Amino acid sequence: MRMLDKRAVLAAGATCLALALATPGYAEDTIKIGVIAEAQAVAGSSIPQAAQLAADEINAAGGVNGKKIEIVTYDNHSSAAESVRAFQRAANEDHVNAVIASYISEVVLALEPWTGRLKTVMVTPGAASDVITQNIAKDYDHLKYTFHGYSTSTSIADATCDAAKDLLVNQLHMKSAVVMSEDAAWTTPLDEEYLKCLPNIGIKVLDHIRMSPDTTDFTPIYNKIEGEKPDVIITGISHVGVQPTVQWKQQEVPIPMFGVSSQATNSSFWNDTNGAVEGVLYQAFAGPGVAVTPKTLPFVAAFNKRYGNNPSYCGYTAYDEVYYLADAFKRAGSTDPDKLVDALEKTDYVGTIGRVKFKGKDSPNPHALMIGPDTITGLMLQWQDGKQTNLWPVKVANGKLKFPKFIKVGAAN
Amino acid sequence: MLFWQILIDGFAISSLYALGATGFALIFGVSGVLNLSHGALMVAAVVAAWAAGNDLHVGPYAGALIGVAVGFVASMITYFLIVRPLQQSRKIREEEKEIFILTATLLWGIMLQELIAYFYTNNAKTVAPIVEGVVRIVGVRTPSNEIFTAVVCWLVIGILWLLVNRTRAGKAVLAASMNPRGVTLLGVELSQVYIAVWAIYGVLVGVAGVLLGMFLGVSSYSVGPLTASAFSIVVLGGLGSVSGALIAAYVVGYLETLTAYLISPAYRTIPALLLLVAVMYVRPRGLLGRR
Amino acid sequence: MGGLSTTRVLFIGLAAIALASFLPLGVSGYILGLLTIAYYFGVFAMAWDLLFGFAGEVNFGPTFLIGTGAYTAGILDNLYQPPIWLCVAAGALAAVVGGVLLALPALRVRGPYFGLTTLVAVLMLQNFVVVDASLTGGEIGLTVPDVITISDAKNYEIALWFMAISGAILFALSRSPVGLILQASGQDAVQAGALGFNVTKHKLTAFVISAFFSGLAGALLVFYLGSASVGTFVDITVGVQIIIAVVIGGRRTILGAVLGSIFIIAMSEALRPVGDLANFIVFAMALVVVLKFPNGFFGLLTRSKETS
Repeated sequence: MRMLDKRAVLAAGATCLALALATPGYAEDTIKIGVIAEAQAVAGSSIPQAAQLAADEINAAGGVNGKKIEIVTYDNHSSAAESVRAFQRAANEDHVNAVIASYISEVVLALEPWTGRLKTVMVTPGAASDVITQNIAKDYDHLKYTFHGYSTSTSIADATCDAAKDLLVNQLHMKSAVVMSEDAAWTTPLDEEYLKCLPNIGIKVLDHIRMSPDTTDFTPIYNKIEGEKPDVIITGISHVGVQPTVQWKQQEVPIPMFGVSSQATNSSFWNDTNGAVEGVLYQAFAGPGVAVTPKTLPFVAAFNKRYGNNPSYCGYTAYDEVYYLADAFKRAGSTDPDKLVDALEKTDYVGTIGRVKFKGKDSPNPHALMIGPDTITGLMLQWQDGKQTNLWPVKVANGKLKFPKFIKVGAAN
Repeated sequence: MLFWQILIDGFAISSLYALGATGFALIFGVSGVLNLSHGALMVAAVVAAWAAGNDLHVGPYAGALIGVAVGFVASMITYFLIVRPLQQSRKIREEEKEIFILTATLLWGIMLQELIAYFYTNNAKTVAPIVEGVVRIVGVRTPSNEIFTAVVCWLVIGILWLLVNRTRAGKAVLAASMNPRGVTLLGVELSQVYIAVWAIYGVLVGVAGVLLGMFLGVSSYSVGPLTASAFSIVVLGGLGSVSGALIAAYVVGYLETLTAYLISPAYRTIPALLLLVAVMYVRPRGLLGRR
Repeated sequence: MGGLSTTRVLFIGLAAIALASFLPLGVSGYILGLLTIAYYFGVFAMAWDLLFGFAGEVNFGPTFLIGTGAYTAGILDNLYQPPIWLCVAAGALAAVVGGVLLALPALRVRGPYFGLTTLVAVLMLQNFVVVDASLTGGEIGLTVPDVITISDAKNYEIALWFMAISGAILFALSRSPVGLILQASGQDAVQAGALGFNVTKHKLTAFVISAFFSGLAGALLVFYLGSASVGTFVDITVGVQIIIAVVIGGRRTILGAVLGSIFIIAMSEALRPVGDLANFIVFAMALVVVLKFPNGFFGLLTRSKETS
């Protein structure tokens, strides 16, 4: 009996030793970028894929001052805790020089303090929470290592209102709306901004509904909205997508949906909803066949060729991020985190979704992307007959507004 | 107007709950097993039906049949691979078997959940409905699919009732649930009764799953809540009583619907949970329980 | 647990702990981080084993106690920024209160009803956390401004010694008269009652102790990670992992729970190359253990005939 237990102890010790020895060392002649993403999620899977594509292209063209870029991927299973562990591992163990992390606001917010504690630069390819950059304003010296590589919710709401002005007010003469969004960190500022910018373009907000992201039965919600007779439903959904869309069609809710619906940006969404998404309008920064910049379509073609499907919205941003990180490393001439931060702040890069520039340290949202006509405008697309058609801005539009029969469009019904 | 909306919606949801809970109650009543992989089996059926439509491009009918078939197969696997070996194991003491079966089915359920998420992501899936369009009932615009759901649920429950009460095989199952040993004295093979029950359960779970997939949709996240829901309903109705489960299903279904419409969709599940707590405190046997 | 005497076990345990405390000298920070989490998890599992293995109560809601402790500590820190040890103490206390509140209705019922009560408790906590998002951070999770330390080695030692002391207390308890009475109550409550033991009082005590350690460990873990979320502390999946840890390690042994926890965390990491299937494989292994080796590792190691 006693011998067996001694063996157990030795075995445990040996296991620990083996684990320790199995840890690889690191090479000095590569630039390592850690990618922490939700590989099981439809949107998240594009992040490491796009990053790898960019890295391979840069390496083929000679790398960064001769150094090759190495992408190290960590699947965080959509969990903030796992992301924190992955980040600690990336920084302390794998010695990455920068991290590209996540499209979920919860995860990014959990990682943000660690970028300061471990002095490692992090750029996010998704996640819309305004708080990310508001935190940087509050504690610049510690949190300056975080860069928000995607638009804040406030800016997304503004972009949606810009599109609504052209499409809903000028074309369809709509006058009223109900705002319907999921209860999440990123929708709080989104809704706040909706409530401000919609009246500014002539649309009255009749009601503001926030629903639990766990909702599976949307019938009571649609019922309530219909009772208020708005011309349009302005949406803010990401975690939910398939169910509200399918139920909207099944119940033949006669009111169009317009706004933010992250899952609708995925090219697989038509199949996911069995076509129920027909007629839904959604905001995005890229769409199939839309040449936002000269780099957009070549990227999509390369991604498609390599992975067999279109990239999700955070694939575009992740791809750009590897490029402008590489550019920043070049300009900084070193991998020192503080120098990298300085170089990143001066980024002026035309990527796949527009011209990337960051707001400065004196802005209320430091390190947020600049959104506007000469940087990034965003698009408004509509699913039509199985295809994602762009309707706005007009100069890159490839279709016209079209709604399914059960929708009553125009003045209040 | 709102009254009729609540009545109709509540009825559809309750019917679905009833079908699922009936299966769960049946397995416990006859086999003595609280199958914690219940939700996973339902989701497996839905995902199979969805995948059939998506990857194999079959029509809604064929997809639904495939879903039900997968539910059946999954149920059989659960019985033969997990439940039966534990029930017949000689390494575990009798009193502990229940705990082990609970743990094992819980594990199995989570395994299925992970597998589904791995192959198909954790995104929600809906099944192409067999019946499309809307009808107007008392001025309420209702998706025909909802009516279809309620009708099929009751059809299946009706067939089950006929099976149990009118056929010899069914009566053997009923008897086995009341007195397993007594039944063997009558020359009935208990093991065959168990297999029959799990087979029926598989079909029930498959149909309930596919209907749920057409009506509301599911994701791999639904596994836990679906099991918890069936578990709660069955306890409310009284463990071992199928009719109790039916009634409890409607109580819970309407409670949830009323809450969602009149208070807020966010608090939907809370009154039902509170009711469950109250019942367990005051009358742990449930409404019609006998065990 | 076979023929191993208490003193022998404690001696071997002490040797193992001493060995483990030297690990930071040679092992990478990443491995230390992994083991830190495994140690806290080990305390969760040991606390659960006290209830399950001894009091014989299948409890699906270890995360109710853990979550209560973790969130109380985290929310307190966010609101008032008191010293960390105060938050942690508050967390443990909250978990104890929660444990008593749970035990009262739960101990009135047996078997599956007890399990259901604990399950309902977890669901209600989850609902509360999600609905009261302004306080708890909701689905997003809670970020706390303080962490205990960012040094891997220090965190590791804290976790190791915390686990060691908790383990020693829990193990000593299991071998004490109280523990034996608990075991008796678990096996056959009627007989224990007939022998004059207040079964309910003893089970309540087990609940309180289990709650204390669960809440304490949960609170400490929040200040290691720097954040709390439903997915880390409350979700049923976490509860299942705890159950697996105990079953794999060997139920009713307390120490087996630690082995099981280390095994699970180590396996999940070792399986990283497989990517997303890692969780599935770990659960599958656990299922095999449940089906084929119901006495877990410890059962295999001590190879005692389970008669107790």
